[in-house]
Amino acid sequence: MTAPILDVRAISIAFGGLKAVTDFSLSLPAGALQGLIGPNGAGKTTVFNLLTGVYRPQTGEIHLDGRRVDGLKPNRIAAAGLARTFQNIRLFGDLTVLDNVRVACHVRAETGLAAAIFRTRAHYGEEAAIRERALSLLEIFGLSHRAGEYARNLPYGDQRRLEIARALATGPKVLLLDEPAAGMNPQEKRALADLIALVRRQFGLTVLLIEHDMGLVMNICEAITVIDHGVTIARGTPAEVQADPAVIEAYLGAPDEPPPASAPAPAPDSAKADP
Amino acid sequence: MLGARAAALRPGYGFVLSRAVGPFGAFLALAFVMQLVVVPWAGPFYEKLLMDIGINCLLAVSLNLVNGFTGQFSIGHAGFMAVGGYVAGAVTYYGSFVLWGSPAVHGGFLGGGDLLFLAGCLVGGLFSAGAGYLVGLPSLRLRGDYLAIVTLGFGEILRVLLQQTNDVIFVPAQIEAATPWQMATALGGALGFSGIPFYTTVFWVFVMLGLLLIVAFRLKESSEGRAFLSIRENEIAAEAMGIDTTRYKVRAFVLAAFFAGIAGALFAHETGTTLNPRELGFQKSFDIVIMVVLGGMGSISGALVAAVLLTVLPEFLREFADWRLVIYALSLIIMMRFRPQGLFGIREIWELWRKPPGASPAGRGAS
Ligand SMILES: Nc1ncnc2c1ncn2[C@@H]1O[C@H](COP(=O)(O)OP(=O)(O)OP(=O)(O)O)[C@@H](O)[C@H]1O
Ligand SMILES: [Mg+2]
Repeated sequence: MTAPILDVRAISIAFGGLKAVTDFSLSLPAGALQGLIGPNGAGKTTVFNLLTGVYRPQTGEIHLDGRRVDGLKPNRIAAAGLARTFQNIRLFGDLTVLDNVRVACHVRAETGLAAAIFRTRAHYGEEAAIRERALSLLEIFGLSHRAGEYARNLPYGDQRRLEIARALATGPKVLLLDEPAAGMNPQEKRALADLIALVRRQFGLTVLLIEHDMGLVMNICEAITVIDHGVTIARGTPAEVQADPAVIEAYLGAPDEPPPASAPAPAPDSAKADP
Repeated sequence: MLGARAAALRPGYGFVLSRAVGPFGAFLALAFVMQLVVVPWAGPFYEKLLMDIGINCLLAVSLNLVNGFTGQFSIGHAGFMAVGGYVAGAVTYYGSFVLWGSPAVHGGFLGGGDLLFLAGCLVGGLFSAGAGYLVGLPSLRLRGDYLAIVTLGFGEILRVLLQQTNDVIFVPAQIEAATPWQMATALGGALGFSGIPFYTTVFWVFVMLGLLLIVAFRLKESSEGRAFLSIRENEIAAEAMGIDTTRYKVRAFVLAAFFAGIAGALFAHETGTTLNPRELGFQKSFDIVIMVVLGGMGSISGALVAAVLLTVLPEFLREFADWRLVIYALSLIIMMRFRPQGLFGIREIWELWRKPPGASPAGRGAS
């Protein structure tokens, strides 16, 4: 087996007394599409925040394509090739759809402030390349016709897809998707799953997906990691994980607690949770 | 990744030259027309008013780079104006003595005196930019409110320091004997720096304003400038997309300080103004903030319109001048209530016909 493109070794973080993530490890081979699941508040988003440098891990190491990235600032990690979407949508609301994607292209730009102010040839060339790249991404995500609209005016599903298009514009090696299908109907979810498969192939991406919708996760993920209370409780193929008693217990609650109304329930309000 | 396509998509030299140089020519022509046609026709009152308008436009548009583009809240812009004004004033006043033995205006258009004045503007702008870097680098890592406090403190400290400076030296023999340090600390204290030659003309004001407008619009329509805007829109997302937010905030701050310094230099060499610490205190900073807030955070044209309005109104309405602060406070409150995004919002005036911002929340305000 080749070296993993994303190698996470026992990272942890505690907020005060709350151990949000404990000794989380993950090894993503290049080209993989894996899932990260767990009940509400399990620490999934916190794992993403650790990987992308929003929080600095208190223990452990993160290696991206052979390079150690834990402790770097988020923008450096993005430049190194790790991109993400946000569970609670964080678009640049008062910029156009096109500009949202173009901002994300900036990390790959080479000309600087002086070129922009004096309008050199290199500046024009780069602006044209950025525009071309952004438009082609919008095309893939079916957002071309909305390129000139302000992001805040987009329908919800389009905002979610714009988040992915924007993340891709940074030219990532690994893409982290935080509940990309939250709030979508089954039809939209299926379309999104196809889209994820498509861009993964087209861009040679490695994808880590957080998703509450078990159907979606079980369908498209090759392997799944399950966390609960910040602790990894299971890992394996969708079928293995589904049959794991620890997972069933985590989702249904301990026997002495009242079980939730419906089993592995997608959280309708989860879109409003923290980053 | 972009590299090869960017190289392939480079336009021809003719296109680049016309697009890159054209606007400079246009603003230069406008400045000439202002000076040679409008000023003689309109008379000295309007000449002074035009200079005041231009200087305030410089201040509003430059502050807009920080408060509007990057969404930070700086309220010490007059401090940078003071740095530029005093540095440039010292350069021309004492420089004139050293070169020509008197501080009087020397030579005509683009004569020796004009060149010294331009050098003063540049040096003043650079000192101001340096001050912007020193103030900005540590404080821009902090959240909005702290930045406001630091910039306010900077302006006030500067005011007190300037009040402590010695009287201006005006005896040629004493100036000959003075060391550079003695000159640099003889800036008039609380009484103000008097005797600075009047080099500022409508032409120079509009040349500088033209430069700033070119810089501001080019920023807004470039990848670099979109990095500024993304910080205003959502700092966490901007970072996650690879934008070095601290670096771009500092850049905005330094650029804004540079042009505020130039505005200060123009102010220092203008007829009918006194360069004194009180004049460039918090009151002035507040006036500039109002222009940006009124005009719309991020709208260059909005800031221009607000700067023109708020310069012209007090000139024509004595009542307004007396009640200025009350009216400002009231209009701020009314705006916050009914149009928090500013008169023109964050868009340029010609973009207003686009769809208004909808109700659906995106990005902003999320935790
Ligand atoms: N910055 C923070 N400060 C304090 N506590 C935090 C912080 N961020 C997350 N937490 C806590 O860490 C735990 C894990 O939160 P996290 O958002 O990672 O869960 P999640 O698995 O993404 O949940 P959901 O499915 O609802 O999105 C929660 O108890 C949360 O309250
Ligand atoms: Mg979450």
